[in-house]
Amino acid sequence: MAWRYIELHTTDPTFNLAVEQYVFDRLPREHSYFMLWQNAPSVIIGKHQNAYAEINADYVREKHIQVVRRLSGGGAVYHDLGNLNFTFVQDGTSSRLDLSLFCDPVAKTLRELGAPAEVNGRNDITVQGMKISGNAQYVREGRVMHHGTLLFDADLEAAAQALKPTAEKLRSKGVASVRSRMTTLSRHLPQGTTLAEFKDRFLRQLFAGQPMEPYTLNQEDLDAIEAIRAERYALPQWNFGQSPPCDLVYSGRIEGCGTVELHFRIEKGRISRSELHGDFFTNQDPAPLADAFLGCAPEYSDYAGVLAAIDPEEYIRSLSKEDFLFLLKKQQIGTCKE
Amino acid sequence: MNYPNELLYSKTHEWVKEEDGVVVIGISDYAQDALGDLVFINLPEVGDEVVAGEAFGDVESVKAVSDLVCPVSGTVCAINEELLDSPEMLNEEPYDAWIIKVENETDREELLSAADYEAFCAEEG
Repeated sequence: MAWRYIELHTTDPTFNLAVEQYVFDRLPREHSYFMLWQNAPSVIIGKHQNAYAEINADYVREKHIQVVRRLSGGGAVYHDLGNLNFTFVQDGTSSRLDLSLFCDPVAKTLRELGAPAEVNGRNDITVQGMKISGNAQYVREGRVMHHGTLLFDADLEAAAQALKPTAEKLRSKGVASVRSRMTTLSRHLPQGTTLAEFKDRFLRQLFAGQPMEPYTLNQEDLDAIEAIRAERYALPQWNFGQSPPCDLVYSGRIEGCGTVELHFRIEKGRISRSELHGDFFTNQDPAPLADAFLGCAPEYSDYAGVLAAIDPEEYIRSLSKEDFLFLLKKQQIGTCKE
Repeated sequence: MNYPNELLYSKTHEWVKEEDGVVVIGISDYAQDALGDLVFINLPEVGDEVVAGEAFGDVESVKAVSDLVCPVSGTVCAINEELLDSPEMLNEEPYDAWIIKVENETDREELLSAADYEAFCAEEG
């Protein structure tokens, strides 16, 4: 079965993920497909993850990092132009799922290019015990999409910032990410290798001795991809709204007021339940203050908007707007009530 | 691998059982074994229409996300909510851990007997 190689020139993650889905759903099943692609700074979350449990929403917004949900499972990954992604789409493999079917040749190719890569027990490829590639699969009716990252020289600091959730411990019914120590390929390849050179060598070496022909997406393909992008990957309802419910708690001690705890339930990316607890004294029933957060996104900028319209001191004695906002920004600890 | 005789099976590895006009659907022992440890399940809601041959939800294992394909068309009348918190029940007891129940069946996929399904799985390897 001949491989068809599709090169993607856009760095828009919503478009690139739509291409993957299009290739999987619509391109003829008698061929196998391989793609190499890159995303502008973005966080790509697993199918069943709670977006807010994985990202630092305020950092992500400030740095214009896109958050996009993919079809495959697993944890959240940070992508930027120092990262190269690969995708295999193949039919007729056994329904017995096996990540090594694709991880092994990728690791072998990396070794041939000079990086001592190994497939580790989980879905990772590592160099000297540190992760350089995360892999995941999506399967349907005997067809498999296997994709992975290759960390060439990505900004690990930005990755750490973007993936730090706003609450330290936030539990969700969704799938949690496993954090790994990471390294970059550029440190293990011949000095001075650029990402473009690496990409060329990787592609040639991976398919050495196998029939492979380039496939260029035509206008009909591109129109269908754009439709998938617009109906799914570009939509907050998909990227955030699909999140399984989770609970978020902000708590802290405010001088002269007492301990204040704000419990939120997040459903479909919005606050659906809100309760205030603590040992503070009230001026009146604080329920309306808690209720003011209903429907907003669990992000600091939304909280600031809420508190512009309501004065917490009317409900809780000695709780100033500034203190309350400080609690929602700095003093957050997350826990969860089941 | 276990293939109870009283059940029918789809080629996408779901099992089907009829109880008083209601169709009970789960995934087979072969399916749970192929998927590996399950960590999440996405279920439809009661009242949703399901269509034979189309996805009615999906599962995520440590290896992959995989669609659940509905063997019949009809209306979802019950979902097994226990699975939402404990998807591993599908690994432990695939034939007790039913996933959805469907009423008002209007159509169904080609279903296999236990013996035919076992032969089908043997071929898949």
